[in-house]
Amino acid sequence: MKDEWKIGPHKFSSRLILGTGKFADGDSMCAAVRASAAELITVALRRFNREKTEDDLYAPLASLEGIALMPNTSGARDADEACRAARLGRELSGSDIVKLEIHPNPHHLMPDPVETLAAAERLVKEGFHVMPYIAADPVLAKRLEEAGCASVMPLGAAIGSGQGLTTMAMVRLIVRESRIPVIVDAGLRAPSEAAAALEAGCDAVLVNSAVAAAEDPAAMAAAFADAVRAGRAARRAGLMAQGASAEATSPLTSFLGAEHRDE
Amino acid sequence: MNEVPEQIDPRPWLAAARGGARREDAMRALASDEPGPRELAALLSPAAGALLEPMARRAQALTRRHFGRTVQLYVPLYLSSHCPGGCLYCGFASDRAAPRHRLEPEQSEDEMDALKSMGFEEVLLLTGERCPGADYAYVRDCVARAARHFHNVNVEVFPMETGEYRGLAEAGCSGLTLYQETYDPGRYERFHRWGPKRDYRARLDAPERALRAGLRFAGLGALLGLSDPRYDLLALYRHAAALRKQYWRSGISISFPRIRDQEGGFRPDFPVSDRELAQFIYAFRLCLPDVPLVLSTRERPALRDGMAGVGISKMSVASRTTVGGYSGRTQYSEGQFEVSDGRGIDEFCAMLRAANLEPVFKNWEAVYR
Repeated sequence: MKDEWKIGPHKFSSRLILGTGKFADGDSMCAAVRASAAELITVALRRFNREKTEDDLYAPLASLEGIALMPNTSGARDADEACRAARLGRELSGSDIVKLEIHPNPHHLMPDPVETLAAAERLVKEGFHVMPYIAADPVLAKRLEEAGCASVMPLGAAIGSGQGLTTMAMVRLIVRESRIPVIVDAGLRAPSEAAAALEAGCDAVLVNSAVAAAEDPAAMAAAFADAVRAGRAARRAGLMAQGASAEATSPLTSFLGAEHRDE
Repeated sequence: MNEVPEQIDPRPWLAAARGGARREDAMRALASDEPGPRELAALLSPAAGALLEPMARRAQALTRRHFGRTVQLYVPLYLSSHCPGGCLYCGFASDRAAPRHRLEPEQSEDEMDALKSMGFEEVLLLTGERCPGADYAYVRDCVARAARHFHNVNVEVFPMETGEYRGLAEAGCSGLTLYQETYDPGRYERFHRWGPKRDYRARLDAPERALRAGLRFAGLGALLGLSDPRYDLLALYRHAAALRKQYWRSGISISFPRIRDQEGGFRPDFPVSDRELAQFIYAFRLCLPDVPLVLSTRERPALRDGMAGVGISKMSVASRTTVGGYSGRTQYSEGQFEVSDGRGIDEFCAMLRAANLEPVFKNWEAVYR
């Protein structure tokens, strides 16, 4: 059976989503995308240059086959700006998927929950498949699901921090309650962290800095692809239950049954 | 008498920065997860000068983590060299004999067309101090024109009132750059011999007025060489920190201009060497890892090449400090200061690419206005 997940009507097999900022050039970005086997790619509207192709992320991405683009609203400080950016992104890319990012503080880029919910409600009504970037807040995640979002994207740690899955406890709560895909977005550094997110039941992870800032971005993208596959396979295989103490492979009480039989 | 406000006063850390900090203090600061003014002082200190290489390595790692392998590019456009100011160090000071020029609206359009065709999407519009030849209405008009050409328009002009900044934002301006020149009140008074710029507080508080009025970005800096750079840099850090806390939705960037040769022949009392400049930039990157740090064409090519992506995340390129000069239709010879890196855009971008860095021309979207 195919193991797919969906954003609206769009189906995906790969559970690794790649960001496109921070690469040294279009070639290394495309090499990383290919190595990642990602089918969904996010690109910042503020980096789209519809007039100058030499500074355009879109042209090299458009040359890749089998890739769905997800414009993001990075740079928006409030719901109004994000909605304007989403509409322009849809016009430019032809994609009805939008990664909703509203981070009013341009330094730490932490998402604004109030504005994000307001924008999500509006964009869903306008027919977008909305994928909001949020803090790992289980209540907000449910509110966004009720608003009709296609997924929720809780952060593992601050964008670009490479601190890993510091929000794991909250991510587990979100996964447990969610009826829409849960995608860990931001903060991951090592492929093992991506595997852990998939093992915990997340549907996908999104990475950018972890790949773009690696010494060999394409090789790191491939490593993340492997890790995501492993994490997903482990989740499907069913992890053994965790115990509070050691459990011997050869039970220590087996003799009790044997004694009974002797009688 | 001007006084440095308590919230940006560098003196609690000044002794450490001037030489009180030991090598161990600098090493501890270098390894700190939560660097603050104490750590900055140690990293600015002469003792940290022996740690330049590890500071550079950490600065590069932090720059790459926060900005990736990219360098954001912008271009300055000098609109006017008219100025009523008496700044001792400036080629535009009113007692300089050089003739004054101003771009008329249609000339500014020619210049903007030329810059746009070179690929720029971010422009910095510059004038001297407020004067009848280049007043608020003129600047606002130029901003509105530039906003039709570029995604990101910033100004480096005279300090304004809050309502004026609001008008600039409405015209399409995203941010301002305003250097305090020096944060040392006594030396500030000495250098600004006459004119509106003598008002230390009016200048110091202008970025706050601009951010309150709705501009999204404020670029700060001190003109290195005018005063003890360690005094100025500690105050600059505190200024940035205070603005970030108050205007948390706004972006702060920091520039490191060094005084250059200019008409008037001013020579700085506190020259900053290349090694010191690099150390100061690394120190800021370590203490403000997510703040864009800017280096202009004041610096020579080899220095700029070495700093790109190693602390520095944003650079000007192909700059002219003359009024106009990009379109070929408007060419005046006298600039505000000498440009050290005269490379054209292709040559500069080739350097960045050879260093495995991507030149980024567009990193803002006009739809956010």
